[in-house]
Amino acid sequence: MDSTAPAVGAFPSPFSIEAPPGCEGWQEMYPYYALFDERRRESDEPRFWFWNSMHFPVPMPAFDVICIDSPYQAVGSWQNRVFAVPPAMGIDYRIVNGYVYISGNPVTDPAKIAERAEFFQKRAGFYYENWTELYGKWRAKMESLIAELGDLHVPELPEYEPDEVAFGDDRNTAFYEVLDAYGRALRLDDLMWQHHFEFLLLGYGAYGTFVEFCKGHLPDIPDQHIAQMVAGIDVLLFKPDAELRRLARLALDTGVDGAFAQGRSPEEIDAALEQSEAGRSWLEELEKAKDPWFNMATGDGLYHYYRSWLDDPSIPYAALIGYVTALRSGEQIERPAEEIKRERDRLAYEYGALLDDDSRGAFNNLLALSRTVFPYVEEHKFFCDYWFLTRWWNKIREFGALLAERGFLQDGEDIFQLTRHEVASALDEMVLTWATGGEPLGPKHWPPIVARRKEILERLAQWNPPPALGVTPEAITDPMTIMLWGVTTERVREWARQQDGGRVLNGAAASPGLIEGVARVVKSVNELSDLQDGEILVCGSTSPAWAPIFSKIKATVTDVGGVMSHAAIVCREYGLPAVVGTGRATSEIHTGQTIRVDGTEGVVTLLDVEG
Amino acid sequence: MAGADGLVQYSRPLSELRAADESRFGGKSAGLGELLGAGIPVPDGFALSTAAFSTFLVRAGLVPEIERRLASLRLEDLDSVGLACAEIAEAIGSASVPGAVEAEIAGGYAELARASGESAPPVAVRSSAIGEDSATDTFAGQQQTLLWVRGAEDVTRAVRDCWASLYSLTAVSYRARAARAGEAPAMGVAVQLMVDASVSGVMFTCNPVSGDPSIIAVNASWGLGEAVVGGEVTPDEYLLSKITREVVRTRIGAKLIEYVPAPAGGGTVRREVPDERREVPCLPEGALGALVDLARRVERHFGSHQDIEWAIARAGALPDTLSVLQSRPVTAIPERQRRPQPQSAISLVMSTFGAGRPPSIDA
Repeated sequence: MDSTAPAVGAFPSPFSIEAPPGCEGWQEMYPYYALFDERRRESDEPRFWFWNSMHFPVPMPAFDVICIDSPYQAVGSWQNRVFAVPPAMGIDYRIVNGYVYISGNPVTDPAKIAERAEFFQKRAGFYYENWTELYGKWRAKMESLIAELGDLHVPELPEYEPDEVAFGDDRNTAFYEVLDAYGRALRLDDLMWQHHFEFLLLGYGAYGTFVEFCKGHLPDIPDQHIAQMVAGIDVLLFKPDAELRRLARLALDTGVDGAFAQGRSPEEIDAALEQSEAGRSWLEELEKAKDPWFNMATGDGLYHYYRSWLDDPSIPYAALIGYVTALRSGEQIERPAEEIKRERDRLAYEYGALLDDDSRGAFNNLLALSRTVFPYVEEHKFFCDYWFLTRWWNKIREFGALLAERGFLQDGEDIFQLTRHEVASALDEMVLTWATGGEPLGPKHWPPIVARRKEILERLAQWNPPPALGVTPEAITDPMTIMLWGVTTERVREWARQQDGGRVLNGAAASPGLIEGVARVVKSVNELSDLQDGEILVCGSTSPAWAPIFSKIKATVTDVGGVMSHAAIVCREYGLPAVVGTGRATSEIHTGQTIRVDGTEGVVTLLDVEG
Repeated sequence: MAGADGLVQYSRPLSELRAADESRFGGKSAGLGELLGAGIPVPDGFALSTAAFSTFLVRAGLVPEIERRLASLRLEDLDSVGLACAEIAEAIGSASVPGAVEAEIAGGYAELARASGESAPPVAVRSSAIGEDSATDTFAGQQQTLLWVRGAEDVTRAVRDCWASLYSLTAVSYRARAARAGEAPAMGVAVQLMVDASVSGVMFTCNPVSGDPSIIAVNASWGLGEAVVGGEVTPDEYLLSKITREVVRTRIGAKLIEYVPAPAGGGTVRREVPDERREVPCLPEGALGALVDLARRVERHFGSHQDIEWAIARAGALPDTLSVLQSRPVTAIPERQRRPQPQSAISLVMSTFGAGRPPSIDA
């Protein structure tokens, strides 16, 4: 179902994308400013937009758009208005067929970049130098924000207001309390995102610099090893799992492990534990552990349907069964902290030892800074994405229940099919008609809208969004795009290649470099004499006897051979890109055809089909 | 195998050679001696010195003829160069090897027979060039290898073939282009017990493509190593972490052919690999770990990145079946960025955000 509309550059123009059949009018789920609009075409069409599939892999429910607006308001504020990251302002987003496309706003004026660099060096420098202290304050801020969310009361709409309203000093009636609570709930979410992004850019920036440094000096280092060198030993994010292991051991020690039989549901396990004194005291221990450690999300994402362990205990209970079973068979389930620490220090030492003295100095300094910032990088997810957000969605569900109770929605969960502004409007009418005793229109107005949107979302989920829209940039230079989304020039080139529909052959990257040229397919030694200067040699395999021709050619592609065949070695000595072992180059490529040889990635692209 | 007192010694056991012997025995033999000296498993063998070759040329009276033919060469006339080369090779091939040299070859071979417990053990006869033992030299035909040679007489013939390879068309034109045409080429020869390899290949103590020094890069295929070295198969490729021995990347190749000992007993044959072995990993269990360990030992000994040919013998169990056939320094590693960079973490992070200060302030 990919769009085959006329392309601007290699990717479709955002203005050429049609709504999938049956999804007409999808735009009404989203704010006017989130759409590609003819009135903004001149500036939007020539930009490069990529699908933010990392945060928004499925079509956006109308309410969940708050998880685009708030974070992008917050990230832009810190990045552009506080730290003034020199080459990059904030991130714009647009929604196409329910999917979120984003594009950074670059700063291109050198004078402006220099001006911003002054701010950035001073302000970011302050954060790095005082990181641990500032981060301590941040945790306190987040904890009090989460507490405030917990205290936020969503009132009922009573038949008669209680005596306190009539006689007391605190005379707010329920209509005000409901609207106030809703407004406050939205503001708390904004606050969370503001806190979220205070440290994120700088934390990822330091860690990302270390990652890039490692990959620059040790190109094949597994990401896992970089993470192992930096990762904290005793971080918050491991705590929920550590608690489950502790509880599993407690179950064995107090003899209630029999309750954790394979295949039992959480309710069945609880019921079995209720039978004994020891079981009941185990359940008490569990209750203590739940706050805060069961505020883990069951999935990693920014949608309302990610619930917490508290809402859906099937994941922690399944883990408990697994741990109990392991313990019974004598396995060790605790994380071997000492061993992890030893391995982390060994990796850091051994990798450092492979570098020259200057590089080793930079490596050690960056590693130390990364370890300083890493607690935030790991822990903010627990505080913000899991603990706060799962509770916040539940708070919104309380408003959904209120609306459902008064017939505005068929089901409380349907609240997420309305935009946050529509919810405000529905709440307005609900408290108005509660106050006046008049007949609300909402129960006739909202349910059909909800039903239609659910159907549209289901259909949009079947659509394949292109990886990018608009004009292919020559290079991706925005540090945020690269750092946070991993969207690099190479990545975009790869997407564009796939869009081209060009045929691609994969082989081993035998000698680095990227070159385009005319192919000469040589199937036997007699054809070697036909070879013209500057052509790309395409052959079954090269022979040591062909040495003299390597000064004539621009690149080599073979059907068979590995990166250590002498042909590959000689290509590297001559600085010629080479892709070997493609399997079928001599049958797929014709002499005279223009091809692109990417000896760094091991990819050969057939650029024209005739030849 | 030493010559009689007072006479020139034409050969030495490989295990007695060290790097310093390269000028007399060539790079390959000296390198093998180094490996043996470092306790790295290398098949037994002996080396012939360059003097064996020069004595041969003089005794056979070939020097004037070779000089005459090479002096009149016109490089642009490939046909005439080819003809001259063929005639020189023919002359070398039909001249007899001096008795003293022949006797030392026979003595060395008899020693190998005793060590292996076979009356006529198969050996590899390889040229051992003077000067850099680089891939370019190999590619330019400066190196000759004869495999699975049996019996002292055949070994002597194989030695003579190695010498003759110095006058192949490619070798002569290469030396001419490299402006070394006038030099009288010198060459030693290494004679080594063959490994009856079930699997063999090449490994680098860095990634030769990316230059990553934390990687051991392994190429492996069925049978003797020539299939991998000559690029005649797409081998199984492994990038292994030097530090944790984990597999970082792997790609199983289509290994369509293999070289195995000829059934008749001498030489090797190239044959098709049966379907069921083509696209399955060829390395036996435990081989990757053993290869990483071996590569690290070789690298540590030489103190530089090495390009190592290795083989796993059919009979026996790892790691004893694994041996090194050759090791040489890796040439042409991609240059990594070498521009000066600050060491302070905050300066480096500032650059990530496009807020790097000028180097003068950074330093």
